[in-house]
Order: sequence, then C-alpha cells, then structure tokens
Amino acid sequence: MADEHSPERELEAFFGPPAPQPQPAQQLGIVVGGSLSEGLRVKLDRSTIIEGLAVGRYVVVRGQTGRRFFSIVSDVQLDALNPLIERSPPDTSDPFINQVYSGTAVFGRLEVSPMLILDEGASEPRPVKTVPAHFSPVYPASEEEVALIFGEEERQGFFHVGEPLEMEGTHVALDLERFVERSAGVFGKTGTGKTFLTRMLLAGLIKENVAVNLVFDMHNEYGWKSQTERRQEVKGLRQLFPGGDVAVFTLDEESSRRRGSKTDAVVRIGYEQIEPEDVDSLSSLMALSDVQVGALYFLRRLLGRGWVARLLDEDDPLTELDAALDRGTIHGGTLGAIQRKLGMFRRFDFLKKGASEDPIRQILDYLDHGKNVILEFGRYGNSLEAYILVANYITRRIHDHYVHRTEAALGTREGEPRPLVITIEEAHKFLDPTIARHTIFGTIARELRKYNVTLFIVDQRPSGIDPEVMSQIGTRVTCLLDDEGDIRAVFSGISGASTLREVLARLDTRQQALILGHAVPMPVVVKTRTYGTPEFYAALGVQGARDPDEVLERGRSLLRGSEEDAVEI
Amino acid sequence: MTNRDLQVGRVLRASTRGFAIGCAVMQPEIPAFGSFVRAEGQASGEAIYGLIYDVSIEDDPFVRQFIGANPPEEVVRDQRENRQVPIEVSVLAVGCGDGETIRHCLPVQPPVTLDWLYQCRSEEIRAFTSRFDYFRLVLDSRDVPTDELLAASLRAAAAARPENERERFLVSAGRELVRLLAGDPTRLEGLLHRLRT
Repeated sequence: MADEHSPERELEAFFGPPAPQPQPAQQLGIVVGGSLSEGLRVKLDRSTIIEGLAVGRYVVVRGQTGRRFFSIVSDVQLDALNPLIERSPPDTSDPFINQVYSGTAVFGRLEVSPMLILDEGASEPRPVKTVPAHFSPVYPASEEEVALIFGEEERQGFFHVGEPLEMEGTHVALDLERFVERSAGVFGKTGTGKTFLTRMLLAGLIKENVAVNLVFDMHNEYGWKSQTERRQEVKGLRQLFPGGDVAVFTLDEESSRRRGSKTDAVVRIGYEQIEPEDVDSLSSLMALSDVQVGALYFLRRLLGRGWVARLLDEDDPLTELDAALDRGTIHGGTLGAIQRKLGMFRRFDFLKKGASEDPIRQILDYLDHGKNVILEFGRYGNSLEAYILVANYITRRIHDHYVHRTEAALGTREGEPRPLVITIEEAHKFLDPTIARHTIFGTIARELRKYNVTLFIVDQRPSGIDPEVMSQIGTRVTCLLDDEGDIRAVFSGISGASTLREVLARLDTRQQALILGHAVPMPVVVKTRTYGTPEFYAALGVQGARDPDEVLERGRSLLRGSEEDAVEI
Repeated sequence: MTNRDLQVGRVLRASTRGFAIGCAVMQPEIPAFGSFVRAEGQASGEAIYGLIYDVSIEDDPFVRQFIGANPPEEVVRDQRENRQVPIEVSVLAVGCGDGETIRHCLPVQPPVTLDWLYQCRSEEIRAFTSRFDYFRLVLDSRDVPTDELLAASLRAAAAARPENERERFLVSAGRELVRLLAGDPTRLEGLLHRLRT
C-alpha cells in the first residue's frame, strides 16, 4: 500500500482521485449459426437479460481472426432445447427449477445482421463479405466503435442527429456531404415527428453549409417559428440563423403577419407566367382528361402568353379560337371545361394578372448568393392544388436555370451553381407512379445530382411514390411505419435491408428513426436529437429563450447597478 | 459420519463396469445407496471410484428357523453381527484416478477379490463431483436405478460441501442434466425434483 508521500498519493492529492476504470463490456452471447444473406443467430448467455435487448441495437461480433463484425439486432426470440417445453412447461414456481431451466432448457436468441467489418489494426470499416466463426462472442457496441463507424461530429460536414439505442451520450454523426449527393427522404406515419426531424436536418445542412436549400413550407413550420404538440414555441430556421443565411418568402402576407413571421419577400405569380406544363401538373387534381391537357398547349399557342388571363376573363370573346372551334380542332365542351377548371385560380390571391416581379429571379438571387429560401404558403397550404402548382412552377424554372448554368460551366467547378436541395412535403402527390415520369420532381430524382439539384422529400405514404424514383432516394430517414406497402417501399433498392423490417415496425412512435442508405456506412436506429431545446440552440450558436424570472431578476440587477453587471457590460 | 477412511467391505466379485462387495454388518449410513466409494487399483496410488446402487441382505437357513419362533434379543443380535451370508453391496464404476487427476471413465482393470472398499471422504467427493462427466456413465447403465442413483449421489455431493455452496452446486448439476435429458422433459423434471427431496 502506497504511503502518504508516495508519488501516487501526491498525484492523487493534486489532481483528485483517478476516474473509475470503465467496466469491460459484458458478453451477450455467442454465434451459433446463420449466413451472410439471412443474418447470424446468436444464443444469449444465461446472464444476459433478454428484456434489456431491443431490435435496432448495435452489437459487435469478435471473430476468431481478430476482426470485428459490426451488426444490428434484427430480431429477438425465445427458444427451447425441446419444443415439448412450450406445450408442457415445467413448474416454475420452484425457484430451483426456474434457475436450472433458464439459459439451458430455455434461452434467448438474437438475429443480428452484420453490416461492416473492421480488420484487426485497420482504421476504416468496410462492407461485410463473410461471417464470423461458430461460437464467436457477441458484445454490445462501445462508444468508440460507434465513433469509428460514423465519424466524429466535430469534423466538417458532419452533424449530430441522435443517439443509438441504449447508448445515451453517444452521438451518431450524419455525413451531410453524402446526404446531399443524392436525393433523400424523411418518412413516417402521421404524428411520428417528421417535421421536427426534417427541420433538425435542415438546420444541420445550413449550419454545415453543404448545400443551399429551397423549402416549400406547406404548413408554415420551417420559417420563423412553430409549435410542439404541447403548444410550446420552437424557433424556425430564420431565427436559428439570424445572420441572413435564411430568407422567408410568403405567398400569403396576411397570414405571415398574423403569425408574427418575419418575411423577406412576397411571392406573386402573374397569369402570363403560367405555362401549360404548370397546369398539367395539376391534371389529376383538376380531373383534366388527356384531351383537355392536350388542349392546354393548343390554347397557349393560339392565345399567347396571356392565355390563362384570357380564359378566365368571362368578357373575352376569344375570337382566335373561332376557326378552330368551327373546324372541330377543339371542342366547345372541352374549352368550357378548361375554363371552368381554371376558375380555381381565382381563389389564389398570389396569382395576379400582370404581376411585375419575377419570383423566380428573386429566389434565384438569394440561392446564388448562398441564402437559403423558405417559401411559406400561409392559408394556401390547405390547398393541395396551390401547393403543387407553386412547387412545380418554381422548381421547373429553377431546375432549368441550374441545367443551363451547369452545362455552361462544362464540368469546371468555378462556374457550377452551388448544390441545391429542394424540400417538398406530401411527396407522393408529386411522385406517384402515374405522374412521376412527367413531373420535374421525378426528373430531379432520376438525375441524381447531375445538375447539382437534389430533393429532400417528406412523406407519410412512401408506397405512393413511384418505385423507380424511390430507388433513387439515396438516404432514407424513416420513423415508424406500419403499412406493409410503405415498409416495402422504404426498403426498395437497398440490398440486405429487408432484414431490418422488424426494426422499422418496432420503432417508438416518437423520436426514433431508422437511417439507412447513402449517408450512413450502415443502417442505424437513433433516438433523434431533440429540436427546440436550449442545448440544441446553443449547439447551433443561438441564444435560447431564458426563463422569464431570470430575465426579470437580471433587469432588476441592472437597474440596481451591481458591480458584476458593470463589469459584464 | 466422520471424514476418516471408512471401510465398507471386501470385494466379492468385480468387472470393469462394477463390482460387488460383502460386508458383515451394516452401520448407520454405511453402506448407503448413492454414496461414493473407493477401491484401490493395481498400481500404487490408483483408485477406482464407484456409486453404491444396491444393498442386498440375503436370508440364510438359521434366519429362516428363527423367523417362526420368538428369538431372544441376544440371538437376534448374534445373527445380525455374525452372519453366515454377508450383506452384498453392488457398486457401479464411475471413475478412476491416479493420485493427481480424476477421470470420469471406466477403470482399465477392476479391483481384485478381497480388496477393501472405502467410503469416500468429503474432499474426495468434492473433487470427483467438480465435473459432471460421470452422469453419462450412470444414465447409460443397464439394470441400475439410474435416476434415483444419480439424484442420491448428487444429494450426497451437495452435503459434502459447505452450506452456502450447496444450492449453487445443485443448480449447476441440474443444468448439466438439462443438456443430457432435453429430449425427455418428463424424465428430466422428475429427476430435478428428486434433487430437492
């Protein structure tokens, strides 16, 4: 035993007692079977409490060659040496019988899906191509191992999005550069927190400056402020980044004013700026037949740029159409139907005859200068027609602009526009199989990032999205889904993901998500980072709201003229 | 029962699978069904371990005569202590040792006639039952009440341990029985219940 004057004692006296040594990880069980395609079967050790394990948790299998197989728990099972035990269980009121049977006659099993492998001495994991040997031990993943897989959040372009299951305090960092290399999506059934998750990810994209963002904010939740389910106010992206990095445009100035939302521009679209393609995107909502859609282009050609205004003008005789009507090139009934259906545009006050501003130019000016744009829809967010019309209208033109600029740059980085991410909600309305091939959003998804434009879609019915488009969604952040079709859709195009089906179906209804695809080296279930807490604001460099009593006391203290406050000032 | 070497009897006949010994009188707990016994092997330091699975008291002509009469106590005592026909004890061989290690297997050679058989001491029982490989020898035996014998031997092995280790020992033994008898859950459950009685 060291005496009082030993070096160890002196160090301890100076620095304080040494930190407790971390407990060695406790083995969960051993590998007893399985395959690469179907996953590994693990028999749990007697001492492992099965109720403490959950699907989605990370485990590490230590192979006999020193390799570590990073795996995810995809199923938890009960098993017995003899199936007769299920039909005739023993009398477990005797604790002795209970002790003898537990872990021997009856035991727990895990199905784990190996995803990455780390060779002994290597620093980078790589995709798994083999399996560990029989009886290889299985351990819970450590914090260091998670950091090895996902990278450190302090690195440029990495953003902390949550914590793995059962690993509080361990941060999963998402590689945002890879996130924006392909289109991405947030999915989940209603009420699972998609909006908060999307807002958190957008905050990361803005903070790390990996791309400029255009957000079609259908329900006015991303711009200035929003509310939690408990009516607590949370800051929107404009407040999180008050230095001018985020601009809020609005279609409904009055609504923005009522909500106290600070806006930078009001969007007005002139009737003469609308083209047949814009109306075509509403064909299913407006119940336009193929004949009527074809007629739109004909009418545009004959009536010119003012075609929409003229069709809506009940006093306009439309004499240019007389000859066509006589010849039967266009049927009177068709014309009448189109006029009636276009009548819905009169409800949209953001559509004006002869609007002077070019909203596209305004938005592009901001985007080209690296400013993120959020377009609030105000009351028009309740109209799917308004949402689809405006989103299509703006996106088609911005995409054309990006195509021209990218082609003009001829692959040289200097002239290329900044990468743009377009966020849309209710994505299945834009990308369902019947229209995906014709809409600009389907085009962008299929292009990958050829013209530096990618999508960030938010949707509760991924099964409603064209499968080909879905397969191009690189990163999928998925909250709870319980529809079989939706679950299948989320996993389409990702190899080996079907083993995670059970993981997805068992997510908590709130604040849990499965992230898989391009931006993560392996699928991960996270307890998502909470948006709107003082800690979150502080991490983004925003001073959060203070406790009102604290503010009052501070004010009193300033009035009293205390010495500390004088120093602070 | 003390921990000194206790003679049980002498070998009457033997084979590698087991042997029979004869003893003149029965003492309290010797010989006892399920108890661990030890005979000496041919080489120095060699031991052959067994479990007593039968104690048989045959009748003789003198006993037959006295059954009908009402013999006095001294005659009864004399007949018990000076038997014409020895008490026969059957032993199942379950292991052997060379003085350093104990193996749970049949001996290479049986003990020879008139060799002494001794009751195992507590420390010998603890050493022998630190592993459970001998279960297979008992369970596979023919003409032996295997379940009762195994249960009795385990109770004896538990009793040879300090009180605070007995429960843990029986649970470990029970788990090994689960592995061996998983295919017959009814038999397994019966055997486990016998461990507690």
